[in-house]
Amino acid sequence: MKRIWAICSFEIKKTFNNRHAFITMLGLPLLFTLLFGQLLGGTSTLKVNIAFVDEDQTVISKNLHESLKDNDLFTLKEMSLEQAAKQVKDKKIIGLIQVKQGFEKAVVSNNQPKISFKHNPDFTSSSMVDQIISNAVSKAAIQAKASTVWNQYSKKPWEDMYTILNKDISSSDQIIHKVAITKNLKTEEMDNMSARSAGFSIMFVMIVMMSTTGVLLDARKTGVWYRLLSTPTARFQIICGYLLAFFLIGWIQFGLLIGSSTLLFGVHWGNLMGIFILVSALLICVIGLGLLISGFAKTTEQQGALGSIIITATCMLAGVFWPLDIVPNFMQKIAEFIPQTWAMKGFTELIARGGNVADIIAPVCVLLAFAATFLVVGMMRIRYE
Amino acid sequence: MLEVNHLRKSFGKTEVVKGVTFTVDKGEAFGLLGPNGAGKSTTISMICGLLPYDSGEIKVDGFSVKEHQMEIKRKIGVVPQDIALYPTMSAHDNLIFWGKMYGLSGKQVVKKANEVLEFVGLLDRGKDKIETFSGGMKRRINIGAALMHQPELLIMDEPTVGIDPQSRNHILETVKELNKQGMTIIYTSHYMEEVEFLCKRIGIIDHGEVIAVGTKDDLVKRLSGGTVVKMEVNHFQNRLVEELNTLPLVEKVMVNDDKTELEILVSSGHQALGELVSTAIKNFIEVSSIKVQEPNLETLFLQLTGRSLRD
Repeated sequence: MKRIWAICSFEIKKTFNNRHAFITMLGLPLLFTLLFGQLLGGTSTLKVNIAFVDEDQTVISKNLHESLKDNDLFTLKEMSLEQAAKQVKDKKIIGLIQVKQGFEKAVVSNNQPKISFKHNPDFTSSSMVDQIISNAVSKAAIQAKASTVWNQYSKKPWEDMYTILNKDISSSDQIIHKVAITKNLKTEEMDNMSARSAGFSIMFVMIVMMSTTGVLLDARKTGVWYRLLSTPTARFQIICGYLLAFFLIGWIQFGLLIGSSTLLFGVHWGNLMGIFILVSALLICVIGLGLLISGFAKTTEQQGALGSIIITATCMLAGVFWPLDIVPNFMQKIAEFIPQTWAMKGFTELIARGGNVADIIAPVCVLLAFAATFLVVGMMRIRYE
Repeated sequence: MLEVNHLRKSFGKTEVVKGVTFTVDKGEAFGLLGPNGAGKSTTISMICGLLPYDSGEIKVDGFSVKEHQMEIKRKIGVVPQDIALYPTMSAHDNLIFWGKMYGLSGKQVVKKANEVLEFVGLLDRGKDKIETFSGGMKRRINIGAALMHQPELLIMDEPTVGIDPQSRNHILETVKELNKQGMTIIYTSHYMEEVEFLCKRIGIIDHGEVIAVGTKDDLVKRLSGGTVVKMEVNHFQNRLVEELNTLPLVEKVMVNDDKTELEILVSSGHQALGELVSTAIKNFIEVSSIKVQEPNLETLFLQLTGRSLRD
């Protein structure tokens, strides 16, 4: 065990001794996550800005403002009509909601309320805003009606009851929620930033693992392998030492990426035990792939070239760079035979759907099956002589 | 300490080691001399247990390599032909790592690393990365890594390849000192001077066969008066070789690659000089210098194989 740990700790020290390694391990994946995460829309709850112009300045119009504030489609900014019109023209805001004088009067007297929504022609979610406004106005009309009936019996100002009703019936009765619908969406998916974070963590861990497993080829080239075999260290100790080192290096990198993406991009990785199991299965699989490639390559240069092609191609197919929903069906079918796809499925369960260990059994099993295949072939290809 | 008996090894259909037999006594420095591709490294790899052999037997301190690999590996230190070190790590870290691989640990391995650094004359450079070292310094650490566990048998496979004369001398002195301290040494090289300097007994190997074993004096006696005459010429022509070969005193004639020097093995150097020069002049070839070389291992190798050690 001492010798296994000696090989493992030395390899880890050697890897992190190289400061440039941090660029590939940490810098590039975070940069790619930022670029691709923003490029495809960042989080799914991105809101547009809309102006609220209150010309009525009454209890109901003010309550309407409060009620419209609480939604996940747009952010309201109160301003004058002139300011709002200018900002719409300058495309600083997407549109304006104008509550005209006489709005309250119309609501109380059960007439058509004087409210309008004007927006830029390129705003595609206007019907959803109309719906939200309509709901809010309907709610205000019902509350106003109830308050006026109460006023007839109590002879107290209807505004008192309207305020009470607004307090009691809070904004929790929001009817419309924004859901991104894609053609294959059956259940909730990760937001883009989380997906890219998971995806690029996978990709760059694979890249680092590819160069890390290349040390076996390098060791043969430099004579270190020859010398190692001439020491009283059993072959299985040498292999275990290296495999443990690769695994721990991978985990250190993934751990750093999880921490950084949580702090920088607010990604919530979900169930910790689930993450531990999924990332461990993924790492074993990636180490197996690295060994497999180094088993067929003759030099580290060959391994690097072959590894880069395989990693980039499979990451593209597995939905690391972009959501799989935007690719044709046949490519989605091919993706089923790629380990990264299963890792992404596991991350989706944990990050987007709040899953636990039981929910990632299938992806973990598939990853371990890939790992077993890669490791068996890879180990058979290691040359000891 | 080491017995190698009728060792054979083939790669595919090519037999590269053909019944090699020699022994090395405890505390002895034994040289294995032969040109590149003679089978030295393959033989060494089999002694170290890194390469299985087809037939024959190797015993280290009475233990068979086939049956007691781990015991044998604890007794031997190997200095490979390559710089088998981690270039991005310091000399100290490298030595500690290799010490651990030989079973050392804790304070013992740190103390030993410092001792080894001092022994190879690089204590002040211990914290520097190997990649910043000169070729000679790398070679010294390469040897140091094999000394971490104080082996009984040190096997050195061409440990001075590609270094400057000053570093070579340092290494040779280091190896000589180790042998004086009682360490058994097997030293392979194609440099005759190194083997002559370090080793009491020498085995000459060529095409996978040990063609002669003995002390330097024993081997030179086998020359039966053979001498090498080195003749530098201008405007070489092939017919000169043909004519020289017809002379009764000439045994073999070799021409170097750029056709400026001939190595002529003759039965009596001084008697043959006149005939050699006159043959050259007769063929209109200008002789710029001529030198009679005292009989040595190179001469013996030439006599036995018809090839130069550095071929």
